[in-house]
Amino acid sequence: MRHEPVFDPERDPVQLRVDALNDRYRHHGATAVLERALGDAQVGRIALVSSFGAESVVLLHMVSVMDRDTPVLFIDTQMLFEETLQYQVDVSEQLGLTNVQILRPDPLEVQRRDRFGALHLSDPDACCALRKTETLERALAPYDSWITGRKRFQGGQRTDLEFFENEGDIRIKVNPLAHWAKEDVRDYMVNNRLPRHPLVSQGYPSIGCKPCTSKVGDGEDERAGRWRGRDKDECGIHFLDGKPVRAAPDAQHEEVAETAEGDTTMSERVIVTDDGFAADDWNGALAAPEDEDATAVLLPSDADPEVLRGRLDGLSLVAVEFPSFADGRGFTIARRLRLMGYKGRLRAKGHVIADQYAMARRVGFDEVEIDADLAARQPEDQWRRRSAWQAHDYQSRLRA
Amino acid sequence: MYSYTEFDEAFVRERVAQFRQQVERRIDGALTEDEFKPLRLMNGLYLQLHAYMLRVAIPYGTLNSGQMRQLAYIAERWDKGYGHFTTRQNIQYNWPKLKDVPDMLDALADVGMHAIQTSGNTIRNVTADHFAGAAADEIEDPRPYAELLRQWSTDHPEFQFLPRKFKIAVSGAPNDRAVVKAHDIGLEIVRNDTGEVGFRVLAGGGLGRTPMIGKVIREFLPKDDLLPYCEAIVSVYNLLGRRDNKYKARIKITVHETGLEEFRDRVEARFAQLRPEFGGADQALLAEIKAQFARPPLQASSLAAFESAYTNDPVFRAWTDTNIAEHAEPGHAIVTISLKAHGATPGDATAEQMREMADLAQAYSQDELRISHEQNVILPHVHKSDLPAIHARLKEAGLATANVGLVSDIIACPGMDYCALATARSIPVAQQIATRFDELKLEHDIGPLKIKISGCINACGHHHVGHIGILGLDRAGVENYQITLGGDGSEDTAIGTRTGPGFAYDQIVPAIETVVNTYLDQRESPDETFLQTYKRVGMEPFKAALYPDQEKQRAA
Amino acid sequence: MSRKFTPKVVTANALLEGDVVYLTADDRWTRDHTEAELIEDEAHAQVRLVDASSRADEVVGAYLADAKPGEDGPEPVHFREVFRTRGPSNYAHGKQETV
Repeated sequence: MRHEPVFDPERDPVQLRVDALNDRYRHHGATAVLERALGDAQVGRIALVSSFGAESVVLLHMVSVMDRDTPVLFIDTQMLFEETLQYQVDVSEQLGLTNVQILRPDPLEVQRRDRFGALHLSDPDACCALRKTETLERALAPYDSWITGRKRFQGGQRTDLEFFENEGDIRIKVNPLAHWAKEDVRDYMVNNRLPRHPLVSQGYPSIGCKPCTSKVGDGEDERAGRWRGRDKDECGIHFLDGKPVRAAPDAQHEEVAETAEGDTTMSERVIVTDDGFAADDWNGALAAPEDEDATAVLLPSDADPEVLRGRLDGLSLVAVEFPSFADGRGFTIARRLRLMGYKGRLRAKGHVIADQYAMARRVGFDEVEIDADLAARQPEDQWRRRSAWQAHDYQSRLRA
Repeated sequence: MYSYTEFDEAFVRERVAQFRQQVERRIDGALTEDEFKPLRLMNGLYLQLHAYMLRVAIPYGTLNSGQMRQLAYIAERWDKGYGHFTTRQNIQYNWPKLKDVPDMLDALADVGMHAIQTSGNTIRNVTADHFAGAAADEIEDPRPYAELLRQWSTDHPEFQFLPRKFKIAVSGAPNDRAVVKAHDIGLEIVRNDTGEVGFRVLAGGGLGRTPMIGKVIREFLPKDDLLPYCEAIVSVYNLLGRRDNKYKARIKITVHETGLEEFRDRVEARFAQLRPEFGGADQALLAEIKAQFARPPLQASSLAAFESAYTNDPVFRAWTDTNIAEHAEPGHAIVTISLKAHGATPGDATAEQMREMADLAQAYSQDELRISHEQNVILPHVHKSDLPAIHARLKEAGLATANVGLVSDIIACPGMDYCALATARSIPVAQQIATRFDELKLEHDIGPLKIKISGCINACGHHHVGHIGILGLDRAGVENYQITLGGDGSEDTAIGTRTGPGFAYDQIVPAIETVVNTYLDQRESPDETFLQTYKRVGMEPFKAALYPDQEKQRAA
Repeated sequence: MSRKFTPKVVTANALLEGDVVYLTADDRWTRDHTEAELIEDEAHAQVRLVDASSRADEVVGAYLADAKPGEDGPEPVHFREVFRTRGPSNYAHGKQETV
């Protein structure tokens, strides 16, 4: 059995081990770090996660020399280039890697969330989450640590990368190549006669999924071709390090969202009140919460209602967004607005279902705005059944 | 004991009526499965490996004989004649049909019970010390507070779609029998320096993938502030908790990532906003609830029958030595009925057994029963002179196993025999361990030892806090079991440490036997318990015994 | 690009009864694993899964499970799927009741 950890997760939290490891290996080189990582009990059970991309072969080669039985996890997002899949087979064979595990997204989830394989167009973050991040998360469950090929020179969020990183207090991320320069990578590949990814010579220095990778021009940042034209530079796999940073999918890909909303069903909105269905009588625009002069605002579900403090009296409509009926943040936002003293019109907007109508009313919403599709599927009578929301309410008995 | 008010009754009936419609709307297509799923979960209905499963709440583990008889009736009428008591003071039926579930819920409503919020990303069944109201070491009965919390959390409009499930436990005694430190909110009834009774509030505990021990967020909370303070915690969590990754969505991760100080500041700020909302109606209601939980008057009588049986009947003596706990009233006892007969499924009871236990409760225990998180049934208020008669009847019903707190009193989740999330089986492992130690006749010699088995990382079997914990995993298509040692679910809560590589299905029972034999070799005297020995000698002797080859290699 | 494809069956739970069902080649739901359609081609498997998932009024949670050919028809590969063809190991309930 290999590298069973001797640490106690309770007494030896990830951060402490990471600090100790960084101290210990501060002045070591890539191969020393990797070699020690493969055997260090504080690192525990470890796997190499490889995209079999442009530079992956460096770490694959190092691992094959040190311990070819090391688990190598390869995420096939089912959106990869054919060349990558072939390269994976060829390199694994050539290096004699014995434990390459090919992981694919959960087919049922794919069927549910990306039935037509077009999610990357409307929401690349969701696509990465579905195909890459969640697959990896599942694959990494049995491991205490994983090895990545990230390097400081790649820029973006990576300029102060350490050899060992704390990943959400759950796992250690090992970056043996953190300090390598581009030349080091090239030299290593030349010196060891390693096979190159076939797409590199065609102008792809950084290779991800087919739909979201394009060629980069001379002088551009190597990763410029990833998610080109989008406010995105990390795929979520590397997004959690240290203090976790969260993606804000709503703020991104605006141009894509706009075209998607052009169709007519979205514009036919239904307002639900205790009296049933009605057309929307609000003709004005809804401003962003930061807009100090607005009289009507739309609060996204991740907004802090405090942003409106001090100008609640000047607002005649606040709509709170429900991106999914399973996201209950809007209920707390509404209650907080009421506790802050907002007396105006308060609307729940988005995916709210009839069964949630009483909840919406009880936290202080006046009305719910749904789209025509939902209104067709859950017609007026299903909402009316919940219109007596004051009845059977435990809260009203406890608060007085 | 609490009995439903007209309000409770009407509420539960209304919910059943709503669920009946939701089932119809799912079948006729008005609700998609995606939309129906959280609604059925809110009403305790899961879809498991082989069938639906209905999880019924037994709030704070307390029920009367009529309720227990109704559980038996439901088992026979709509299921396969048995029920499974869980580690969260619930009962599960493993074979209901979708169309029958509304009828089952109506049958529960008939006796003041429900399955509301036994699942889903909401505040779950509030649990409490199963000896509450009877234990000798109690400061105050935690159940009135648990009932108040039940009413507050039920259908709470803000908290039906939290980032993840949310569990609250309350304990009223310094000896923690409710594992409060492993809950999202743990409430310990304490007395402060001036003698005032209030709560020590813990937040952010939990087992599962990332086990964490709850952190004290408020050292002393006045009793009147219970609801606004809990509401502040859950409300802060609702906005702050992660929704991008369900493995990081529990409050333990929120507290951990936010930092306890920052989290506490936010809670206190929210609490200041919410406090004025509760102007005394909750306290008036609490007073009514408390009156209902007042301990029934217990009669003193002669102990001669008990003492004679204790002296003359070794089987009875063995049973009282393990299954009886000290009652606050002299001459009385708390009886734990073991649902862990050797080789049986931990926590399962047949309809006949449920009826027998109901009858015993009615005759001898002030009509009260309790369900423990350790998956046993308790008769909380028994006069010692009745113990011989109770024991005789339990023997008849196959319920007199004298093993409470011993090696065969195993907690086990349903595992892959039922659960859709499981990665390996738990029940047969528990059955085989119990059977094996029964064959060895070592059980009483081994003494107190808690084995807890989970069939996946979600840790419903509390393996992290088992003296010996077993976690079943799927390793490359084969069942594999990891062992942890040194966990503790008591007031000294500790997370167990993994011994090393896991064991195959047919190797796990011998491995447990090796662990226990190592303990027997290492202990200084029969009085030194497994946990004490482990704390003294550490992991090494156990590792050496479990992995002899590795040891040889190291020596070479 | 050739990758070895492990044959699959489409399986789910019945909406009303909750029990385990498999999709047959002629679009029925069967309770018997050996009657399932053994799908040897990856693209076809995806199509069949889409077909199955669209039948939301009959089943819940359709997915593809690994399978292999056997004497009487397809057999499960993973132990979880083996249990699903039988029932729990502590009582003779579920499918094994009727066998």
